[in-house]
Amino acid sequence: MSPAWGEEAQPSNQSQSHSTVLNRPWLVILGAVVLLPVFVRHAIATEIWIFAIFGLGLNLLMGYTGLLSFGQATFFGSAAYVAGYLLKHHGVNVFVALLIGIVVGAVSAAVVGYLCVQRSGLYFIMLTFALNQMFYFTAYQWTSVTGGEDGMPGIPRPPMLGLDVRAPLAYYTVVAALFVLSLWVMKRVVESPLGKILQCIRENEPRAAALGYDAARMKLVAFVVGGAFSGLAGVLYAMLFGIVPLEAIGFVFSGNVVFATLIGGSGSLYGPVIGSFVFIWLSESVSAMWARWPLLLGLAFVIVVLFFRGGVVEAWARFWAWRATRGRRAPSAGADATH
Amino acid sequence: MNGALLFSQLLNGIATGMLYALMGIGLSIITGVLNIPNFAHGALFALGAYLLYTVIQVIGSFWLALVLAPVGVALLGIAIEYGGIRPLYKAGHDYQLLLTFGLSLIVTEAIILVWSPVGMSQLPPPILRGGFDLGVAIYPKYRLFVMVAAGLLVLGAWLFLEKTRYGAIMRAGIEDKEMVSLLGIDIHRLFTTAFALGCFLAGIAGALTAPIRGLNPLMGVDMLGIAFVVVTLAGLGNLLGSIVAGLMVGVAQSLVALVWPEASVAVIFAVMAAVLLVRPQGLFGIR
Repeated sequence: MSPAWGEEAQPSNQSQSHSTVLNRPWLVILGAVVLLPVFVRHAIATEIWIFAIFGLGLNLLMGYTGLLSFGQATFFGSAAYVAGYLLKHHGVNVFVALLIGIVVGAVSAAVVGYLCVQRSGLYFIMLTFALNQMFYFTAYQWTSVTGGEDGMPGIPRPPMLGLDVRAPLAYYTVVAALFVLSLWVMKRVVESPLGKILQCIRENEPRAAALGYDAARMKLVAFVVGGAFSGLAGVLYAMLFGIVPLEAIGFVFSGNVVFATLIGGSGSLYGPVIGSFVFIWLSESVSAMWARWPLLLGLAFVIVVLFFRGGVVEAWARFWAWRATRGRRAPSAGADATH
Repeated sequence: MNGALLFSQLLNGIATGMLYALMGIGLSIITGVLNIPNFAHGALFALGAYLLYTVIQVIGSFWLALVLAPVGVALLGIAIEYGGIRPLYKAGHDYQLLLTFGLSLIVTEAIILVWSPVGMSQLPPPILRGGFDLGVAIYPKYRLFVMVAAGLLVLGAWLFLEKTRYGAIMRAGIEDKEMVSLLGIDIHRLFTTAFALGCFLAGIAGALTAPIRGLNPLMGVDMLGIAFVVVTLAGLGNLLGSIVAGLMVGVAQSLVALVWPEASVAVIFAVMAAVLLVRPQGLFGIR
């Protein structure tokens, strides 16, 4: 079998850069959280952070463990449906709904992950996709519960701690706070011994196994944690739009989060956050323009992949490297001329 | 339940199963040789069906369309490999995979734009219309034709891979690309050929399917998941495995459709999950 998937795309060790620029990414993110609703429509701003939570979950698998999962919508959608159903028909407490979403995300990820981690490489990717399709078709046909193609509408957004969050900005604040919390938790996870073991599996699975780590079990843990994040994102998504569309559990959604994470840069903790920002902002802009916007999305996939691989983070770094070399070259060229 | 119905449904399962096997083999060749799960495989399947439809509209010959449609898909495949996948050899598989994913969206949307967002239907050629009396039941001629045609195509693919020199090179490419290129074989040409061959098989599977199930832009997406199931169960480059896996899910789907039609698609994936629980390595336990 070929080397592990995603191996080549990962810049190695992240921890060094963390210690030197420890505070700056946090300042940038907190600034973005505060400023975003000023510039962007509140619903879109909210969606950006929800999608970022979703991306954080995927990136634990893709970026840190080297497992390219093409079925993350399974966990996102399942959680959205279950929590949405309970919110709609049983009026559960919003925190209960969030908790149930996280649990459903984690449990569905445990089931899917158990089957997927049995195989590696190409088979792994195809399995995640195929199982996603199974959940999709179940949701598609189970119309009495999910509403099938029409989606599951009428999901309420109940008050939190007695505060009304039906206003867009209020809900934005809740989601943004949960996003920052999620980012902090994910930072703790990837810097924990577990995170190091997962990166070790990414870099060299046989060696990790030789060191005594049960690679399959660790991958499953990554699945479960990633699924929990997806589940949280799913419930927040359902409450944002008041509906669970069938697409929320579809494979295009799974592909979108992979794409967003890659354009942000899957090697870093903040990559999916940047990717989500770019992706949601772009897709919301073009989807308003044209009903056939997935065509533009597909073109964007192709163009980014052919010409802007490495994502925004790398493009940014390349830009500064280019500026630096240009700055250095100019005087030296002048010096050559004097000889 | 009546016996004739059960028998017809079993035959339906075999016919669709053969088409699944064809999809699986095409995908298996691409995935095995190029190391990418081709996410555009389903969309190319749909394109094969739509090209058949248009060629019949323009020229009027089903038989010519059955040849031209997959050739058209294969030519597009060559263009994709040459213009998209080849520049990404060094960039890594993640990007090639995302490229095929983007292409699948583009092809699907292009079908909606060029043809129609709603489904269309395509009649079989006059000679294959109507039923054929099998004694137990009267069965549509066209489906019998599909069974035979798909069987011949699988046989052709087997003969090519097992009995010809280039087929042997292709199998070697699935096993060990580095070694193949060290032997002085143009590995890039091998990649292009494999991609074109896989696309041809997807295209002809789509063309054969059109008179059975009709055409709709999302037919490819549904097929992609099934092709993944076949490859996962069969193992890369395993033709016999692909046939067994294709027939298995095809027959399971048809039989479940009799008792619980809503679950007939989900059962394909359930069968895969069940097999993998018992045999994580797949039906034939390769790699």
